[in-house]
Amino acid sequence: MTSPPVTGPAAAPRHRGGPGPARFRPRRTPPAGTVRPSRRGVVSHWRQYLAISPFFLIFGVFSLFPVCYSLYLAFQRWDGMGTVQFVGLDQFRFLWDDPVFWLSIRNTLAIWVLSTVPTLFGALVLATLLHSVRRFKGFYRIALYIPNVTSIVAVSIFFGAVFSNNFGLVNAILGTVGISPVPWLSNPWLIKLVIALLMTWMWTGYNMIIYLAGLQAIPTQIYEAARLDGAGPIRTFFQITMPIMRPIILFTVIISTINGLQSFSEPQVLFGSNAANPNLGGPGQAGLTTLLYFYQSAFVNNDYGYGAAIVWAFFVLIMVLVVVNWRVVQRGRKS
Amino acid sequence: MDLSRRRFLQAAAFTAAASGLTVACGNGSDSAGSKNGKNLTLWYWGGALSDKVVAEAKTHFSKDVKLTAASIGGDFKQKLTTTLAAGTSVPDITGIKGEDMASFLPNGNRFLDLNDLGFKEISSKYLDWKTKLARTEDGQQIGFPIDIGPTALFYRADQFDRAGLPTDPDKVAAEAGTWEDYFALGVELRKKLPGTYLINNISSVFNMAVGQGTERFIDRDNRFIGDQDHIREAWTTAVRPYTLGIDAKINDNSWNAAIGKSLTTELGAAWHALDIEQAAPNTKGKWRVCAMPGGPANQGGSYLALPKQCRNPEEAFKIISWILSPENDARGFADAAIFPAAPAAYAMPAMTGGDPFFGGQKVIEVFGPAAKATPASYEAPADAAVMAPYMTGLTSIEAKGKKPDDAWNDAVSQARQIARRQGVK
Repeated sequence: MTSPPVTGPAAAPRHRGGPGPARFRPRRTPPAGTVRPSRRGVVSHWRQYLAISPFFLIFGVFSLFPVCYSLYLAFQRWDGMGTVQFVGLDQFRFLWDDPVFWLSIRNTLAIWVLSTVPTLFGALVLATLLHSVRRFKGFYRIALYIPNVTSIVAVSIFFGAVFSNNFGLVNAILGTVGISPVPWLSNPWLIKLVIALLMTWMWTGYNMIIYLAGLQAIPTQIYEAARLDGAGPIRTFFQITMPIMRPIILFTVIISTINGLQSFSEPQVLFGSNAANPNLGGPGQAGLTTLLYFYQSAFVNNDYGYGAAIVWAFFVLIMVLVVVNWRVVQRGRKS
Repeated sequence: MDLSRRRFLQAAAFTAAASGLTVACGNGSDSAGSKNGKNLTLWYWGGALSDKVVAEAKTHFSKDVKLTAASIGGDFKQKLTTTLAAGTSVPDITGIKGEDMASFLPNGNRFLDLNDLGFKEISSKYLDWKTKLARTEDGQQIGFPIDIGPTALFYRADQFDRAGLPTDPDKVAAEAGTWEDYFALGVELRKKLPGTYLINNISSVFNMAVGQGTERFIDRDNRFIGDQDHIREAWTTAVRPYTLGIDAKINDNSWNAAIGKSLTTELGAAWHALDIEQAAPNTKGKWRVCAMPGGPANQGGSYLALPKQCRNPEEAFKIISWILSPENDARGFADAAIFPAAPAAYAMPAMTGGDPFFGGQKVIEVFGPAAKATPASYEAPADAAVMAPYMTGLTSIEAKGKKPDDAWNDAVSQARQIARRQGVK
């Protein structure tokens, strides 16, 4: 942002006067000599705007417009083809009284906690281990990252087969040591556990790579100084590594919150072959996440207004959780 | 960069407006002009029509029109809905799945009335109850029936034999005439052959039992009737095998592994035979089919329809009535196990042969009468959505041991709520 553009006469005087980058200065007191961005400036930079325009065009058409349109739909009743009928706050009133919606929220939060905690903890441990590894570095990194690039549908099908109640691999192994079959895909908590395990499998490697990059940015001198002062590896980890990594951990926590709350493909594929009610999250709807419920309402039942209401209510919830997360992880930073 | 926040918002608003405009334009352009186009597109999904018959249709009509057939994968209904709503690139002929038909009927104005194009004269060739399901309130015929899914009882003759039960289809049908007789048979089977189950899951029984009646969850006056006796009875019937311990409680894809092993019978439509054959090829010759306890129902079966934008309705109608003539229908059964909606086809050689998977049994002798005896029921647009809580309730009984009465009460209150949301009184 602060690097001066290559062309344009207006850009040159901008860095004059006053210390610090220009963007932190209050807007009302422009420094002498600064030329306000005029229409001429926009026109003279048309090449740059043209270069960045594809993103904004595509974003506008495929993201911004649908987002705005879904907000509009949340106050209507629409079957996807017929007339759009205004119903005011009816959809939200239905939502408030809908036990399935609240069930889906509970499911989503449970799956999110069950998956995010082991993912981030495991990723940090793996990254620390990998940071100290001397040989086969590349191999370990690739091996741990591969689950993240495999197709989520393929992984879900694989997990479905491995954890199948009657003929699954896990139950077969448990059977050889005399443990009776565990109903992985019909017990409400085990269903959530399997979905959480699947997400942990997919996302640990991704977060590990981010942590590893963070670890490698910490200067080795700090560790040497700590060692000279007599700090052991555990103490070094909690008093040196963790505080320095805080912004990176904050980043992964927020990204995981957003990703983890949007679980959809995992339960959809795992229970999609359920003959009685596909897209309803398996037995007892224990795997019905909020996004799956949205998909089912809008695209299976053709109730687009209600679907839009579900996602907007869910959006508010995600925002609240992100703020809470932010506060929790930020706390203690200033002390 | 000179992009201020205000300017960014302006640009964003402009983009949103522009994209909105594009969509609006798309909606408006109704190609009402010439209706004698030479290029026709046909949308269907894999297995909806016999590929051989479609290929022949292309050459058969090649001197008048160029027919392009596209097999659309994924969520067909969703893609068709989106295309119809957008109003551009709409296919000239499209398939509609039987279970989706009810949800398209309120938007009948998006389709041409096939009666105007000559369906009235040939409609007697097709099963009346199937044709009716694709007709709007005011008598507009939207769908031309492709196939139907008459249901029957599939059973393992070898296991019946080992248990000392009759194996002949007529005798089994007589022994399992009602649901209660059928379940009694299952209790006996389980006694003689431990580890086997009569039915796959209780939701399938519920689905069949509801299909045997003429009324479903919403009546013609758009009122919710899912709490009335006919549904309650179907529910009670469905819960019986669970309490008798003859329910395998399979609600996932392990059905594929179970079908050749622990399941002694299977309730399903004619097309279900193919599923069994694919999942358990080594049981070839051991299966038989007989009439379903309590009478036949229908499961699935699709239609062809002509969207309003069709570029040459007359020619398109000629094509679909050719593809779906009884003669070609019979071939569709031989090629792709598509069970015809035209009873005349049932007597044709392509359908009267024995099926080796069923030990050479002439399955048409079971499915033919079932097709003709299927009750004509009324299916409201919201029917599928309203049915879902009942299915969920039944799986909760199986998976969590939820009390059947609690599950019933929850299912009814949820179904009523969904119905209200969808504008049902």
